[in-house]
Amino acid sequence: MLTIVFFALSGLDVLDALDVVDKPSLIEWIYSLQVLPTDDKSNLSRCGFRGSSHIGVPYNSSKGPGAPHTYDSGHVAMTYTGLACLVILGDDLSRVCREACLAGLRALQLEDGSFYAVPEGSENDMRFVYCAACICFMLDDWSGMDRQRAIDYIRRSTSYDSGIGQGAGLESHGGSTFCAVASLCMMGNLQEVFSERELKRIRRWCILRQQNGFHGRPNKPVDTCYSFWVGATLELLDVFQYTNFEKNRSYILSTQDRLVGGFAKWPDSHPDPLHTYFGICGLSLMGEAELQKVHPALNISVRAFESLRRLHEAWRQKST
Amino acid sequence: MTEPFNVHCLLMCLFFYFRDRKEWADLEPVPQDDGPNPVVKIAYSEKFTDVFDMFRALLKNDEKSERAFALTAEAIELNAANYTVWHYRRVLLQALDKDLREEMKYITAIIEDQPKNYQVWHHRRMVVEWLKDPSEELQFVSETLSQDAKNYHAWQHRQWVIQEYKLWDGELEYVEELLEEDVRNNSAWNQRHFVISHTSGYSDPAILDREVQYTLKQIKKAPHNESAWNYLKGILQDGGLSSYPGLLEQVTELQDTCSSPYLTAFLVDLYEDALETNNSSYDQQETLNKALELCKLLAEEKDTIRKEYWNYVSRSLQNTSACKSEQCQTPSSHMLKHAQKELYSK
Repeated sequence: MLTIVFFALSGLDVLDALDVVDKPSLIEWIYSLQVLPTDDKSNLSRCGFRGSSHIGVPYNSSKGPGAPHTYDSGHVAMTYTGLACLVILGDDLSRVCREACLAGLRALQLEDGSFYAVPEGSENDMRFVYCAACICFMLDDWSGMDRQRAIDYIRRSTSYDSGIGQGAGLESHGGSTFCAVASLCMMGNLQEVFSERELKRIRRWCILRQQNGFHGRPNKPVDTCYSFWVGATLELLDVFQYTNFEKNRSYILSTQDRLVGGFAKWPDSHPDPLHTYFGICGLSLMGEAELQKVHPALNISVRAFESLRRLHEAWRQKST
Repeated sequence: MTEPFNVHCLLMCLFFYFRDRKEWADLEPVPQDDGPNPVVKIAYSEKFTDVFDMFRALLKNDEKSERAFALTAEAIELNAANYTVWHYRRVLLQALDKDLREEMKYITAIIEDQPKNYQVWHHRRMVVEWLKDPSEELQFVSETLSQDAKNYHAWQHRQWVIQEYKLWDGELEYVEELLEEDVRNNSAWNQRHFVISHTSGYSDPAILDREVQYTLKQIKKAPHNESAWNYLKGILQDGGLSSYPGLLEQVTELQDTCSSPYLTAFLVDLYEDALETNNSSYDQQETLNKALELCKLLAEEKDTIRKEYWNYVSRSLQNTSACKSEQCQTPSSHMLKHAQKELYSK
């Protein structure tokens, strides 16, 4: 559920409409999703944020230790979106148990460098590498992962066609390509990990995704959300400016629902929070009027990104 | 839900809530707790609340029983994406020593109904691992792919099974069947590369040439196919496109009958390779001119949606060559604006 709140909240932020939201209440609710260290700290490797209160842990807005529960653990995508939502809402993250989140994150990384979503085990792929990178970036602390292993995973996931798949051998895909490139940018390693020749090839793979809007794989239909996944990747690679803005914009707008609003993956289809959010972000990348700019790697507004940077400066000053 | 709406309504009226069942009377349902000011309120149906209130109760006590196992199936039917329910079901499968063959039948049915759900494929993988029996997997995945030949989850599962249990035999034949059905299936081309790179590899020139000829043949059948061109380039570019014997001739030959933006771009890349490697079989100036001419053709005629990009490629080619002749330092890429360390990390 927290991921859906992120789409709504970040979407409102990009629309410059956050004042419709009850920020203090939302902040309390998000903090109530934090899996807190128990008194004896025996659950550190399971800390982070939950997606919802669905397993029935008693309400606790991160005031005091966690209540032990055999099945209570964080989920990497919820920790990422939880932190992002707090940043968007202007919170200073002071109730985030940073060490616990980082310990929880370390527990999720596999030998091959990729990440599980939950300590109990799950599938592992590039999506969770991205979530992990966002968490480390937002907490300004890369001790949450073995960066070299993550980098190796990314390199091994690069396909013969120079796009990047969810894992080694898997088909290159616009979503996983974004996850990989954005993660490397946040690590500050993009140009060390890929040679100029390799970057040229990745640019070519990405820019060929434009049909009018964008698709995620060769010979697949276009889908609104790829206007962000691929668009943002191209922006990170400095070549988004060479895409056709009119056709992209036209496509995104054609997927708008004239009755209830929002965007869908295709025209005349049902809108949903994910496609609405990424449709808005796709338009923002092109400088759409009245939309805030979106940070192409961290996927929050540039305004929220700047407040995060100020927070980091305050943290660094405190530690010196 | 898959049943029609009126049947669904009937079933809802007939549903015997767990909270009213005598075999469940000892268990106190646990509601979700979103605190004094719930900001996110989902309008769950009564059935949903009933099932999940009971699920939370079982979870709290870590109850390991048949009734708990039965309830997980109800919970899954209501929300097959709830990973906690799946995890709990796996705990029960082991604690109660359940029949895993039956579980395979169960998960088969669920995947048929919801083939794009992550949790169901992960569950199937766990059961296959416990049984140490992949014998049904390739058949099952083929069936899923016959409904949607590009289902990413299905291909991922297939690659896992093949690699884990070394089931490479016959996979190349399977790929060829799929390419016969749809030569534009990018997932099938990817699988082709997967199989060959893990079996014979591409270093044997006979194999490499077989693949080149196969791909050119597919291109002749359907010239406007990015997947085939990507494959051709992918298997040859490490060796250098401009050095592969006869390649330039074979591709140029296709220009009249099999023209496409992919063919033209392939030639640009081939010429770029000749320039970068200073290939002595090519006149550097003439090669540069040809490459620039093709970029212009792409920008103005063959791939106009990417016209700004092809102009950018043109400029890069010109800059690289100008830099070479002036003997300046390798024009290392200017710092990408989003790759600057100062912007991002300490």
